[in-house]
Amino acid sequence: MRKILFFLLLIFLLPGISAVAQKTISGKISDAKTEEAIPNASIIVKGTNLGTSSNENGSFSIKVPDGRSVLVVTSLGYQNKEVTVNGEVADIALSASETKNLDEVVVVGFGTKIKKDLTGNIAKVKGSDVRYMPVTNLDQALQGRAAGVFVEANNGKVGDGVKVLIRGSGSISASNSPLYVIDGVPISTNSYSGGPISDINFNDVESFDILKDASAAAIYGSRAANGVVLITTKKGKSGKTSFQVNTTYGANRPTHLRGFLNAKEYVDLLREAAINSDNIDGVDPTDPAQYPDSWLEYAEGSLTDYSGWSDWRKLETNTNWEKKAFNYDAKTAGIDVSASGGTDKTKFYISLGYVNQDGILIGNRLKRYSSRINLDQYVSDKFRIGLNLSLTQTQTGRVQVDNEFSTPMQIVALSPVTPFRDLDGNLYNEPTTTYSNPYVDYADGKYNAIIYRNIGNVYGQYNFNSSLFFRTEFGVDIQNQNDDQFYGATTTYGSGTNGYGESDWFRSITYNTNNYFNFKKTLNEVHDIDAVLGMSFQNYNSAYANVFGEQFPTQQLQRLASAGLIKGGTSTETNSAFLSYFARANYKFDDKYLLSVSGRVDGSSVFGNDRRYGFFPAVSAGWILSQEKFLANSDVLSFLKLRGSWGLTGNADGFGDFASRGLWDGASYNGTGGLIPTQLANPDLRWEKSNQVDIGLDFGFLRNRISGEIDVYNRKTNDLIYNVPVPGNTGYATKTVNIGSMENRGLEIVLNTDNVIVKNFRWSTNLNLAFNKNKLTRLDGDQTLLAGNDGRYLNSLIVGESIGIFYGPKFAGVDPENGDGLYYKEDGKSTTNDYNEAGNFVVGNPNPKLIGGFNNTFNYKGFEVSVLFQGVFGNQIMNGAGGFMSASFDAFDNQTKDQLKRWQKKGDVTNVPQLRLGGGNGISASSRYIEDGDYVRLKNATIAYNLPGSLISRLKLTSLRVYVTGVNLLTFTNYGGWDPEVNTDYRAGNRNQGSDFYAAPQIRNISAGLNIGF
Amino acid sequence: MKNLIIITGFIILITGCSKQLEVNPLQSVDESFVFKTDANIKAALNGAYDVLSGGYLLGGDMQLYSELLGANDEITWAGTYQQPREIYQKAILTNNSYVRDTYLQGYRAINICNNIITNIENVNDADRDAVKGQALFIRGLIYFELAELYALPYSAGNVATNMGLQIVTTPTVNGEVTDMNKVPRSSVKETYDQVIADLIAAKPLIQGEVGVLGSEFSVSAVLSRVYLQMANYAGARDEANLVIANSGASLESNYAGAFNNMAPSSEDIFVLPVTAQDGTNDLWLFFSIKAYGARSGDVRIKQKHIDLYNLGDERLALFYVGNGFYRSGKWQLQYRYLPIIRLAEMYLTRAESNFRLGTSVGATPAQDLNKITQRAGLSPVPATLANILYQRRLELADEGQRIQDAKRLMQSTDGFAFDANELVFPIPLREVNAGAGVLKQNPGY
Repeated sequence: MRKILFFLLLIFLLPGISAVAQKTISGKISDAKTEEAIPNASIIVKGTNLGTSSNENGSFSIKVPDGRSVLVVTSLGYQNKEVTVNGEVADIALSASETKNLDEVVVVGFGTKIKKDLTGNIAKVKGSDVRYMPVTNLDQALQGRAAGVFVEANNGKVGDGVKVLIRGSGSISASNSPLYVIDGVPISTNSYSGGPISDINFNDVESFDILKDASAAAIYGSRAANGVVLITTKKGKSGKTSFQVNTTYGANRPTHLRGFLNAKEYVDLLREAAINSDNIDGVDPTDPAQYPDSWLEYAEGSLTDYSGWSDWRKLETNTNWEKKAFNYDAKTAGIDVSASGGTDKTKFYISLGYVNQDGILIGNRLKRYSSRINLDQYVSDKFRIGLNLSLTQTQTGRVQVDNEFSTPMQIVALSPVTPFRDLDGNLYNEPTTTYSNPYVDYADGKYNAIIYRNIGNVYGQYNFNSSLFFRTEFGVDIQNQNDDQFYGATTTYGSGTNGYGESDWFRSITYNTNNYFNFKKTLNEVHDIDAVLGMSFQNYNSAYANVFGEQFPTQQLQRLASAGLIKGGTSTETNSAFLSYFARANYKFDDKYLLSVSGRVDGSSVFGNDRRYGFFPAVSAGWILSQEKFLANSDVLSFLKLRGSWGLTGNADGFGDFASRGLWDGASYNGTGGLIPTQLANPDLRWEKSNQVDIGLDFGFLRNRISGEIDVYNRKTNDLIYNVPVPGNTGYATKTVNIGSMENRGLEIVLNTDNVIVKNFRWSTNLNLAFNKNKLTRLDGDQTLLAGNDGRYLNSLIVGESIGIFYGPKFAGVDPENGDGLYYKEDGKSTTNDYNEAGNFVVGNPNPKLIGGFNNTFNYKGFEVSVLFQGVFGNQIMNGAGGFMSASFDAFDNQTKDQLKRWQKKGDVTNVPQLRLGGGNGISASSRYIEDGDYVRLKNATIAYNLPGSLISRLKLTSLRVYVTGVNLLTFTNYGGWDPEVNTDYRAGNRNQGSDFYAAPQIRNISAGLNIGF
Repeated sequence: MKNLIIITGFIILITGCSKQLEVNPLQSVDESFVFKTDANIKAALNGAYDVLSGGYLLGGDMQLYSELLGANDEITWAGTYQQPREIYQKAILTNNSYVRDTYLQGYRAINICNNIITNIENVNDADRDAVKGQALFIRGLIYFELAELYALPYSAGNVATNMGLQIVTTPTVNGEVTDMNKVPRSSVKETYDQVIADLIAAKPLIQGEVGVLGSEFSVSAVLSRVYLQMANYAGARDEANLVIANSGASLESNYAGAFNNMAPSSEDIFVLPVTAQDGTNDLWLFFSIKAYGARSGDVRIKQKHIDLYNLGDERLALFYVGNGFYRSGKWQLQYRYLPIIRLAEMYLTRAESNFRLGTSVGATPAQDLNKITQRAGLSPVPATLANILYQRRLELADEGQRIQDAKRLMQSTDGFAFDANELVFPIPLREVNAGAGVLKQNPGY
């Protein structure tokens, strides 16, 4: 106790004590060749714990006790340097390291490793590469930056879901998302609405380490089948407190508009469609006698209804409804302030962040306030404690999912003959608008979500001696969410009931504890041993409650307290838990031969008693050939490592907490409680297991100016969990069983080159490519096909094909004789206009064959330019709304421009069937609505200028940087829809991929920013 | 010492957590728990009613299907949903999700009933028969309703060979899909035999008054419908007569009084409760309009139907104009009880059957017909078969009896013969796929 007091005292007194006998050395660290400043270089006074780091401008300042004069300067990518300083100024130039990135420290589960010594595959993205990028979700910031990491935002709604797949889809029904671990805390990806990853301010992140192969991930055992994203936040460094302030401001626009018929086209085509339908019925509607009760009368009557105060015959109105879905004033603003520093005993990092991004859709926005404190304290030489804690408040203005009439994008269905407002200035709604007008829902409704998120942990680490320590961590992830909805009497939900209000409350609490021993020792200078033994426990709890009501006395009173009729409410709660024991041993011999063995036993509450525990082992080995004598002297080859790994990981997430049980739920009839069956039992339900082999080659040429990695892998998932259809006469639709196997084979290539390094100029390139082939290899043995044609989409499961493949009727174009839409029959040759007679074929694949990123950075004096292209290739997208928006005027929905190319007369050769009102001509789900989804996108480009040191020091600053940055600036694609990065939110899932349904295009942002350090 | 503490602490952590994996659901109970006690089995019975009253069954869709199939150009489906439109157009795709979900929900309720009947010994002696009677009633009713949609009508003949339904009378337990679930489809006759057997067995067991639960009289009323389909007029007459004579129900004095009620009306033989907190009213959803909180008025009543009524007919007055088209006033408001069988139907059934048989059981056809016309505010009409059937059509308009009547009376509708394949639902695609090759598709699909 006395010791602790002493230390506390010491901490407070330290600045005072230190002032007594020391001098201050300041200077600048720079690259010996390019003379660029080197930020974040570590400067330590040799023989002490005293140290600091250089700022953005390369400058540093350090207090050195008397009698000490040697500084040790280290920086990633540079050779270490010791400098003896006699005066008070020291400008130090560092030479580039020959091993460059290979010395990088990579975070692995429960430890760190030097990249050179890795035997598994881990992709690292530095926080500084994505910092201040004007997106709200860290997954989007990672897009295109790591090989084999596929990132796809469902749509352009801010704060909404983003899909992340590492090395393809591994599961049909269980989660396909990686595990996210922030500073040792596996976070919850549960949420009531929106993407929970949006709650994290990634400007605080030091590094993202993405564990891709099984040996890297297996230490996370059952949680790791889909890879692990380890997020390490910034920690303080001893030395002078450094402040960073960053502000950005920018504008958001949709990447692309689809384009719909204008009023003239709408009127012409609709009338044509009606006349065609009449003619088929043997009616000539242009004959006044036959006009009554004709389709044409119906169409023209509807036009009259739809045109409100205006006259459609004179084309008095031509509303571009598509544009009404978007907010053309959408802005992004952000401020981040951080301070970091410390002493040799205490280190801290503190930050505050604010971001306010308007979505491009009306009513969609996200505002996030975040704060973080990371603290690390040496209580004694042996004992260290610390805290990483973040508090976030995220406010989102949400819009409904894509298949709701009230979602802004469905406004495109309205007729261009409909005026936006009536003559009194009120918005038109049904029946003047064809469907309910989403703009009314926006104007007279609100959907605000507010989420408080607290992720943090406390830890203690005890060093028994220099080779053994014990670390214990206790972490929490607490989410508290309130969704508040109100829809006035004019809206879709509120009409007829004098308004509708709903209040939802969601709470998710997960806590976990990690406790492990780490042993690290070098024996006889050639045997390096690094071993971990430990356990972890994690508990998830989530609770939900809501209440909803109607009959609001006035539109000003929007809380449920004012509802005249409380319609209902509910509250639910669920729990799950994981218990794990793990061990890992790494062995390195003579800096050449690497071996790693790990094992983890996981228990999950999700499974029945007999199936609860799973064992997940992994082994990997590496051989650094460039250390061998026969290669050591090569001038060309500077590094070569061959590595291979095998491991087993598991998956128990994403299919409910009680999937193995036969369950009955509460129900009600006539105000009395009842019980109804909801789930068919399967006591044999067990872990999904993923078996992965990875063989990789790490190489460096020409002093590592060219370096990279090549990996081939084969990931086989067995015991896939799926809700298999059972005969409905059981009273159930599906049963959750382990039915099948799936395989992902792939090739990943990473290539980093320093193309030009000369004085004042540097050009580097990073290319990553990942080919992946997903194949379903087994269903339950009886079945080889689970057809997914649901009338809008065709995502199916077929043995031998990729997950979610499009399987269904193949559109055979238009019969030139009569304009009928045709489908191929089962023989693949003859055609039919009867959808029920159409054969089924594989007509598309939503899984990309290749994804990649291509990043170039240029540095010239204070200027920096970075340009990131990101691409997705070989996938198809199905427009589930084709049957509404490209449907030959089957109904009154406004149509896409391509409908102008419709069949009109005998002999016309086209792909757009004859227009027929109510005719359903060729509009059922088929290959007609499938298109290639390949795209290349200028994902992120930044131009920055760092003011020169001389100017900055006069301003008493350490750095000043101005920049312009943009996201999704250019898109190259043949996809005819809004945006090829799409998977409509209301059905997005493992199998349901590549579907478009009034999904908003992505956000294109251009922002300007200013960053100041002092 | 410190080292010892750490290691001991670690060992405690390792051993202490395994109990934490024993987690139970908080919104659900294990199936094994449900059928052990009297109270739970009664709750399951209430659950069966909940399913029965769901949207895809008698909460509105089954009635809607009947009206759309039998539209006869008197109503239009103008809504955007393709599934009801396919039904309206008699061009139903086998992947139609309404067709799928009605089938699933039907068997879901049947499975609950099978569970109850199998475990009936666990119900208190006093209530055992009544509970069993209720379960048999629901099972019989649903098999009948499903047969009307998914099988050719009885009137199409060949009842011993035309395909009916898969008859499953054993409960699904422990997640096992048994051979019982893989039986071939019974014939139409066997299906009707099952329906009749259940209803006849239910009749002496079931207890209670007419209303929101099954009663002796709702059993009889359903039986009268079954017999009518089979052209067993004596059976239909006797069951209808029993209801009229003994149920205690009486016609509302005004026709409109039979609808949009917040409690059972005096003429309801079987009615489903709909309140703000409970129940489903899909008839309101599809027949009503935005102004009453529904959709955009998916079902429009055409002039052709309106022209069937005489001026001064109270039933005509119940139609209203909304969004420019006639709308059925029966389904105008949301939180209103849904009549499934009304006493008026029993009068019409008795009248028709008596007329056909030349009998006067209970009353003469003219007396029964008068009850209907008088209440509608009309002067008496001669009791001819045509008049009885005409009044039946007006009286029960939009209540989900149209296609059944058209089929049994061998009337064509919208150009389709009464026994056309197009007027029969397909077996849902998912059932054919999951049916292990045993479940045969309907002809024409």
